[in-house]
Amino acid sequence: MRNPWAQTGNYKTDYRQDTAIFATYLEVLSLWAFLAVLLVLPFFLSRPQMFVLDLILVYALAVLGLNITTGYAGLINIGQAAFVGVGAYTAALLAPSLPFWLTVPIGGLAAAVAGGIVGIPSLRIKHLYLAIATLAFQIIFEWTVGHSTILKQGGAISMPRVEFLGYRVGYKNHYYFWYFVILLVVVVLAFAFRNLLRTRFGRALVAVRDNDRAADAMGMHPGLTKIFAFALGGFYAGVAGALYAYLSRAVVIEDYMLPVSIKFLAMAIVGGLGSLVGSFLGPAFLVLLDLNMEDLANWLKSLGLSYAGVDIASAMRPLTFGLVIVLFLIFEPRGLANWWRLVRNFFRNWPFKY
Amino acid sequence: MSYFLQLLVSGLVVGSIYALAALGFVLIYKASRVINFAHGQFIAVGAFTVYALVVYLKLNVWLSFGIALFFTALIAFLVEKLFLKPLVGQPIISVIMVTIGLASLLDGLIHLTPFGGGNFSLPRFLPEGGVSFLGVSVSYPQLLAVLLTALFLAGFGWFFQRSTLGAAMRAVADDQMAAMSLGVSVEHVFALAWAAAGITAAAAGFIVGTVSGINLESLVAIGLKVFPAVILGGLDSIPGAVVGGIIIGVLENLATGYLDPLVPGGGTAEVFPFVILLLVLWFKPHGLFGTEEIERV
Repeated sequence: MRNPWAQTGNYKTDYRQDTAIFATYLEVLSLWAFLAVLLVLPFFLSRPQMFVLDLILVYALAVLGLNITTGYAGLINIGQAAFVGVGAYTAALLAPSLPFWLTVPIGGLAAAVAGGIVGIPSLRIKHLYLAIATLAFQIIFEWTVGHSTILKQGGAISMPRVEFLGYRVGYKNHYYFWYFVILLVVVVLAFAFRNLLRTRFGRALVAVRDNDRAADAMGMHPGLTKIFAFALGGFYAGVAGALYAYLSRAVVIEDYMLPVSIKFLAMAIVGGLGSLVGSFLGPAFLVLLDLNMEDLANWLKSLGLSYAGVDIASAMRPLTFGLVIVLFLIFEPRGLANWWRLVRNFFRNWPFKY
Repeated sequence: MSYFLQLLVSGLVVGSIYALAALGFVLIYKASRVINFAHGQFIAVGAFTVYALVVYLKLNVWLSFGIALFFTALIAFLVEKLFLKPLVGQPIISVIMVTIGLASLLDGLIHLTPFGGGNFSLPRFLPEGGVSFLGVSVSYPQLLAVLLTALFLAGFGWFFQRSTLGAAMRAVADDQMAAMSLGVSVEHVFALAWAAAGITAAAAGFIVGTVSGINLESLVAIGLKVFPAVILGGLDSIPGAVVGGIIIGVLENLATGYLDPLVPGGGTAEVFPFVILLLVLWFKPHGLFGTEEIERV
């Protein structure tokens, strides 16, 4: 007798059941419970804590995009921060004249177009070269912003406070209001991300990643598929950028430079490439790590490990990000998502051993 | 005309630095198909080692240079043994990501030394002035840069053509399986390629130190400028790396000379090589000398 609450065996009889997202009712229930927790969480958190939560969710969006290009399609993207920046600057330019529910998707579309352009070389060349193309895009983006008077040459462009259906967002409710906006966007885009692999486009991405010649023979167009991956990843990044611009209330080039791209890569790797849960675990892990970095640096200073001319705080960040990337790749290439999978599989079969 | 020649000459100097750096990059790529994003950090390690030895320990410049060559090669060798060897057989994506992580890691380590921020310049050890011909003046450091580059290129050329190890490395680059079956230790060759890359990186760092001041950011930027050079020359071609490096250096300087006045804020040299990179990727993706991969199902 099949138990819908626990997976007591493999009862799958057709393809539809195999591609189903949820194996048991318990999983559906826990997802709803988790969403409910996310909905009531703001009522228990202080302003600074809300900011951290918002930040994690926005980063998670950018990492979701990275997981499409790098995780699903296998194209290394060292320019994700630049795509995020395209979205942020688009939002910054449009914010004075358009409401935010228009500027955010437009920011996403602008970044998607940028992604498509960066992906053009994939019509002729393979992934190694594409990684370098994204690097070039990152550098050209930084330079262009730094030399555009309309973008204040990378200096802070302030974002206006918004109004929604007569509800004014001010200092007090800023992070709370944006939390719910971001949460909505995250839920929608994460839903799309999870279901992407069940569509022909998503399956084409993975097929091209695994063997593009075989995919070509099966009638997929490897070049266009890669361009699609870049555009889609860019869209997620652009939406994240526009939301980040509103959230931080200023657009500064420092938030969209090469080290930030590496931070996104670190998040994706720590979380587990191509994994939905990992796209949240990775940013959460690194944002919390980042927050504790200052304390760690101060602690090291108090131990007398600091000497003249050395700024431990500025050393800790690249050091830990680099270390985290390297250690995860060597010891747990599947990332935190793999630990999550082990825990979940335990509960999926519980109370049975297997 | 003399303005053009002057730009050309200083471009040649910058180009020879890029050529050296690109040579090390291509060595690693040819041997193990790894794109090394940490190359700029190796250059920085070399440059700062020379500086530390000369300024803090008051050693002779050439002796310090020799030690720096060895030290950087050792670091690169250890990096290969510690971080890249465990990943042999893993998808190439993870290997490349590891080099990105390494770049960040080395960056952090350099920040732990006093060299993380600020400008440093090697004490002058060459006479003032320089030579001039055709109305173009070349300072002694610039002359040294070009000569040193030529010397290193000749040395590596000899190494790959004549020595047994060089032949083994070429064999591995050609066909790993065949090389292995003939008794070449592929593992050994990978590590050696990294050590050789460390040597060229240290040489490039030293040359930067003699020609201009050194700071971490600009040295890392040179590590990134390697990409336009190797893409232009062809990712897997050693002559291509040299030619590409020199062309990028010259073009970059010409851009500074002729484009900067047209662009508000200037600084076209930072971005021009990458525009070339994208153009090369669009129109001639395998560069000038790269081998086009022909795939069969």
